[in-house]
Amino acid sequence: MTTQDIIRALNETFELKAEVLHGNQIRVSMHKKQVAPVLLYLKNQWGFIHLDHVSCVDWIEENVFELVYIVYRPQDQLTVLVKTKIHREHPEMENMEGFWPHMRTYQREIREMFGIEFPGFEAPREFILEGWEEIPPMRRDFDTRGYVKRTYTTRPGREDAWSVREYITRRTGEKLPDFARKYSRD
Amino acid sequence: MIMKTTSERNKQTTLFIGPQHPGITGNMMVKLLVEGDTVVRAETHIGYLHRAFEKLIEQRNWLQSFTLLCRFCVPEPDPMELTYARAVEAIEGREVPPRAKYIRTIVAELARIQSFLLWYGGQAGSAGLYTLGQWTVGDRNYILDLFEDLTGARIYHMYIWPGGVRRDLPKGWADKTRRVLDYLEKRLDDYNRLLFDNAVFQKRAQGVGIIPKDKALEWGVTGPPLKGTGIGNDVRKDEPYCAYGELDFDIPVYEGGDVWARALVRRDEIKQSIRIIRQALDKMPGGSYYNRIPNPMKWRLPAGEAWVKTESVRGEIGFYVVSDGTEKPRRVHLRGAAYTHGISVLEKILPGQNIADVSFILNSLGACPPEMER
Amino acid sequence: MSIIDLKGLLVPLGALKQIAKEPHTIKYPDQTKEISERYRGFHYNDLDLCIGCGNCSTICMNEAIDMVEVEDIEGKPGDSGLRPRIDYGRCCYCALCVDVCPSGSLSMTADFIKVSEDAFDFLMIPGKDNPGGKDKITFDASTDTSLNLFERVPMRELPPEERVQSFAEVFLGYTEEEARIEASRCITCGLCTENCPVHMHIPEYINAISRGDDEEAIRIIYDNNDLPEMCGKVCTRRCEDVCALQVRGEAVAIRWLKRYATERAENADMIRRIVNPEIREPNGIKVGIIGAGPAGLTAGYYLALKGYDITIYEAKSEPGGMIMYGIPKYRLPYDSIQKQVDYMKSIGVKIHFNTKVGKDISFDEIYNKHDAVFMGVGLQKGYTLGIEGEDAEGVWAAVDFLGLVNEGKRPDMGKRVVVVGGGDVSMDSSRVSRRLGAEVVQLYRRRIVDMPADDEEIEGALEEGVQIIEKAIPTRVIKDEKGRVKGMEYVRAELVPPEGGGRPRPVPIKGSETVIECDSIIAAIGQKADFGLLPEKVQNSLTFERGKIKVDDERRTGYPKLWAGGDAVKYGRVDAISAIADGFYAAESIDAYFMQVKA
Repeated sequence: MTTQDIIRALNETFELKAEVLHGNQIRVSMHKKQVAPVLLYLKNQWGFIHLDHVSCVDWIEENVFELVYIVYRPQDQLTVLVKTKIHREHPEMENMEGFWPHMRTYQREIREMFGIEFPGFEAPREFILEGWEEIPPMRRDFDTRGYVKRTYTTRPGREDAWSVREYITRRTGEKLPDFARKYSRD
Repeated sequence: MIMKTTSERNKQTTLFIGPQHPGITGNMMVKLLVEGDTVVRAETHIGYLHRAFEKLIEQRNWLQSFTLLCRFCVPEPDPMELTYARAVEAIEGREVPPRAKYIRTIVAELARIQSFLLWYGGQAGSAGLYTLGQWTVGDRNYILDLFEDLTGARIYHMYIWPGGVRRDLPKGWADKTRRVLDYLEKRLDDYNRLLFDNAVFQKRAQGVGIIPKDKALEWGVTGPPLKGTGIGNDVRKDEPYCAYGELDFDIPVYEGGDVWARALVRRDEIKQSIRIIRQALDKMPGGSYYNRIPNPMKWRLPAGEAWVKTESVRGEIGFYVVSDGTEKPRRVHLRGAAYTHGISVLEKILPGQNIADVSFILNSLGACPPEMER
Repeated sequence: MSIIDLKGLLVPLGALKQIAKEPHTIKYPDQTKEISERYRGFHYNDLDLCIGCGNCSTICMNEAIDMVEVEDIEGKPGDSGLRPRIDYGRCCYCALCVDVCPSGSLSMTADFIKVSEDAFDFLMIPGKDNPGGKDKITFDASTDTSLNLFERVPMRELPPEERVQSFAEVFLGYTEEEARIEASRCITCGLCTENCPVHMHIPEYINAISRGDDEEAIRIIYDNNDLPEMCGKVCTRRCEDVCALQVRGEAVAIRWLKRYATERAENADMIRRIVNPEIREPNGIKVGIIGAGPAGLTAGYYLALKGYDITIYEAKSEPGGMIMYGIPKYRLPYDSIQKQVDYMKSIGVKIHFNTKVGKDISFDEIYNKHDAVFMGVGLQKGYTLGIEGEDAEGVWAAVDFLGLVNEGKRPDMGKRVVVVGGGDVSMDSSRVSRRLGAEVVQLYRRRIVDMPADDEEIEGALEEGVQIIEKAIPTRVIKDEKGRVKGMEYVRAELVPPEGGGRPRPVPIKGSETVIECDSIIAAIGQKADFGLLPEKVQNSLTFERGKIKVDDERRTGYPKLWAGGDAVKYGRVDAISAIADGFYAAESIDAYFMQVKA
């Protein structure tokens, strides 16, 4: 079995355009409704028995979450990255906990960290976090530094630190305009 | 800590094992429903070690991230560095010099050995055999000494970075390594005498915590637990990286799927690791050890993604890394071996086991909480 | 399974044989563990070598490193004066700070034990709080292992054989890719800004270039330099002298990067569109400017942006002053200046050419017509050699020679030219003479390494076949019967360190007189100002120092409402960027003056 066989099969069965990512890895994007049938097809028809990974990426600029399901066929080390984009507003994805036992773990994590719902998924909501009241923390718009400032206090004793750039500017009288400042060192 | 509450069904009791307990590195809790001495249902609870590393990494640049990554798993930081470096190199298309590949191989294998030695301590300790742990953890220090000489640190080496490794091998390091390997090889017999020849361990380990062979792959079992079910999948052989493709080694496989088989696999793995390191030292190519990256503060990766896997002591670990073309990663997501072993697999195999074996089984699966919740 | 597994019970007892063995542990504190040669323990910082660039603090992802003022350490150009202080409650000993330290001052040591109940004890200034660390350095970054890129992207240039054939530009400029790579070497510390007379926002525009935002870079550059393309080609680039990377490697090519960015704007319209400056409503205040050199143009441009009515009076027919008439075209092509001046004109700067003050128009008339006057007249007259026979035909002052050539004339220099001097002007004279087809011998009193000229210029001259005779002092011009130059006599000198210290002084060696035959001689030993345009009463109220006007920090002269700048004033260095700074700060001062008057 080669990457080309899988690419062809995905194309013939689902009219999907898959491509080679690196070496033995195939990447294929699809509508979220297709994910479950494609995953079952790959698992049952083609022996992609091993669910390697499920990941989620927040593309806040496009207003979508991208879900990535990575499945592996041990016989000839083929990997398929099954990808789909879902809306960031009221994000929902099909519950696939029955497909692989650890899908439950992944779905719990993604639900908690990104706020993606899996209708019909009944696992306890709290997984890694406890008593979390902010927006799901792995979303790009979660302000980590702001959270830290609100939640923790800073030990005093380091207020005398200088920004090198500012220190030199004070000495030279250089007036740095705002449009330049965004290129200064943070 | 063990806390008891009585459930409604008066014959069954809920037991909490953890968050602190022997057997694994880090904190996690297993909530058990037991009837008598037998586990009826198990549920893993994590969240004691969440450090938001993946979130923090999104706010650091590509190089800064690598100092956090190694902390994903305390007993085994090097495969994390290695996998991340390989993922970044895959996205960027950066070549790694042959010498760096060999040095990486040696570091990865030394990391395996030291981690196996730590495991010996945990596995024997959870069976009440404390002497062996003293020995192996003591002997592990010889490997940490090697790491100290090579990288400047004992545990968190921060040595394998994108483009190669951070420093070249120091003078005399190869010979010192060979001497340590010779010593360890001799010690393996001593370990056997204390563990594998020991009736206590044999009786505790055999037939306990069985992972069925026909379910192993579907359950996401990898590493020694998988090899202990008779399936010899190993990323180093299947998708060779670093110098593994050029070195000769075997994948130990045992049937049975129980704690005993997993222990035998690990015992043999140490021998294979010693064999790999010796070959790598002999074949060590010359030349550069590092394909220099640009100024780290201005280093931008092209937009793209990579999924890269490495064989760690606990099994397969992988990094899914996404770049949006800026100085900082869009997403770095770890798939740890323990993510399946410590949660879904554990929950499947604990029912029917004896309470006293829970820690014992946990240890044999290589559960690593910091890796599960990151 | 038997009831008692005898073997399984007895074999482990074999461990007992270990009892007789020597333990592997050490007896602390009698024995201590040997620390490896690469150990990453507490930091040590060589406070004298450290330049306070703060790169360590920037890379530290734990925010463990603060840059703080340290007693007895004063900042100076090339050293912020700050030093790192490390919070060991946060440090993770990753040593990235060591690997990014450009000066190599920061390292880590074999020390790692510190016990204290006071958390503040773990805020340590390496080097100050642990002076003993110097002898225990274990982890440091050599230039091989450092994460800094010490090698500059080379600039492509014409081959020397081709160069001397014409006045075509020698340096070809960076390509986009080269510029991005070179810009990415910069560590954005900003030490360079201090050595720039006008304090350009160097780290910011270089960062913009490295991110591919060339237009933003141009905007940032024009914020306080209105002639950046000129600077991008011929600036004396003192900024590069204090670049953090220059301590152990090659400075970032700040000048070439500025050139790269400014060349992206191909004409005045593009500059106008990209810079898109905020121009204030006209305020009706008139400022007259004498001289369209860098100082005058700069003062005019920035005042025009502030709404002033600007008129520049220029004696020559082209703008730019010395940068137009003094710098050869193979270094700075005509168009580079013209396009920037056109842009200034589009802002509203008016220039009257061929108007020599003191001849075509009097100083008083200008002074009376305007509410304020800025004077940037430059150094017009070359110093003479002061030796016998220098009235011979064929003896040139470099400033006249270069002016003539830049006007497009091609004087006949004969077969062989002797150039006297060691500054940039002497290099220009030599290299121009080569382009006119002459052989060139250059005489300099000291050694080549002592020459004040830019290294790149010296290198270029040597490549083009200029012969430089070191430690040679001209003594006599030899004339033929028609009064034309026939040769030059010089003596060799030895360098004697003066008693009070300082630069070694060249002392002639008796009897070492040598004669070179030549057809022309160019004296490039400096220029002086001509203040003949100023009426006596004005001259009397000004203070002069070594033939130059003294001004205060705001470039005010002693005469009311008269500001001055450029080479003719005694302030800062003698180069174009200092003249630009004079013009820039004079404009601010003039504006502040009228704001105050209004209020």
